[in-house]
Amino acid sequence: MSNGLDFEFLIDTFFIALSGVPVAMIITVISLLIALPLGFLLALTRINKMPILSQFSRVYVSFVRGTPVIVQIFIIYNSVPLLLATIFEKYNIQMNVYDVNPIWYALIVFSLNTTATLIEVFRSAINTVSKGQLEAAYSVGLTTVQAFIRIIIPQTLVVGLPNICNATVNLIKATSLGYAMSLPEITLKAQVAANASYNYIEAYMDIFIIYLIICSLVEYGFKRMEKRLRKYKIAPAA
Amino acid sequence: MLEIQSIKKSFGKNTVLDGVNLKIEKGDVVVVLGPSGSGKTTLLRCINFLEKADEGKAIFGDIQVDLHKASKKQINTIRKRTAFVFQNYNLFNNKTALENVTEGLIIGRAIPKDKAIKMGKEALDKVGLSEKYNAYPSELSGGQQQRVGIARAVVLNPDIILFDEPTSALDPELVGEVLEVMKTIAKEGTTMLVVTHEMSFAKDVANRVIFMDGGVVVEEGSPKEFFENPKEERTQRFLRRVLPEDYIYNI
Repeated sequence: MSNGLDFEFLIDTFFIALSGVPVAMIITVISLLIALPLGFLLALTRINKMPILSQFSRVYVSFVRGTPVIVQIFIIYNSVPLLLATIFEKYNIQMNVYDVNPIWYALIVFSLNTTATLIEVFRSAINTVSKGQLEAAYSVGLTTVQAFIRIIIPQTLVVGLPNICNATVNLIKATSLGYAMSLPEITLKAQVAANASYNYIEAYMDIFIIYLIICSLVEYGFKRMEKRLRKYKIAPAA
Repeated sequence: MLEIQSIKKSFGKNTVLDGVNLKIEKGDVVVVLGPSGSGKTTLLRCINFLEKADEGKAIFGDIQVDLHKASKKQINTIRKRTAFVFQNYNLFNNKTALENVTEGLIIGRAIPKDKAIKMGKEALDKVGLSEKYNAYPSELSGGQQQRVGIARAVVLNPDIILFDEPTSALDPELVGEVLEVMKTIAKEGTTMLVVTHEMSFAKDVANRVIFMDGGVVVEEGSPKEFFENPKEERTQRFLRRVLPEDYIYNI
């Protein structure tokens, strides 16, 4: 055992952990690209009380929200291969289910998870935009889709952005749980490096710093975006 | 030009419109009066399909529509021939005054952007807001917002403009500026259907007054006969309540 911190290891491992950033970012971005529109649409089904779909999204949200992400990972990571194996066997596909890149499982888990969060975010944000905005859009001849794209969604985003930022940061941090399915992201890479020499403290410090930097940058980006989007609120209500 | 036949609408057990007929010719300024809850606003909203009527027919120039089973296409056609001025203005909060006015032109009617901006500026000039092209609704007073709302309707050059209590949400000292603008566009020959509580507007500007109560039209006529010689007992009672004794109409 070494006494004190091994600075050389600290720096080396920092770059090893850094090489896991692209995987973490890919998962974050793709999950968001799936979850943002899906969450928005499912939020609409709840607001408009659409039969079946609205009940579905309510049950869905409570399932996802009521279970730890790590448990969701275990379930997807263990059950999907079994399912695939049966399918492969049935259709005679020559492929080993255990060769599937764990990134696919990560995408499934984190998309499903973020969708549930965003349903609730959008549900409250859409409700803050008064019904009169939609009626006014109809009255000047806009279709529902045009009204949403040009009037409702921009206003929804301004209200929802702080919570969307929150969801994004949580998502980035949650990708660290990917190590449970041997996903080569930041945490796993640092852990593996530390396993060889038992320099766990250094490795954890590296991870700590990397997540802190990424999340701070994301928060800053969201703040900028929010400032730009909410320029129409500059003046106090007359 | 616009004819509404036996329109009916209930919310649950509450019948709001119980067979209202209405006929408006080009250039008419028709004012609908009546106590609150008499169905005036619902009538307007049903004409523009913001509310779906249970029964009734609309004849709009060459189009004839069953109000309760209009197709999306029919609804859109009628909405493009009408414009609506809301009680709470309902300006698009994320758009400037000018963008509010041009939105329906550029997106709803596919008019080229330069032309739409020119038309939009003219409409805002007409309502006295030449200084406020780039102001957001949150930077405008209620009266200014409602004038943008009127410009947004006028710029579309619709066959008829529907006004839903355009001054009810305004501070008393701002009512005048909005009524002035409405008077101006009425004089230009715009066809208007106005729900209001402003008796002076009904007297001075309307060429026909309709009195509604309990979801039906109780009485209608020219402002002169309506205010001087109301025939129905319900009308007389309403007028006694809204017009103070020392302010009986005389010409």
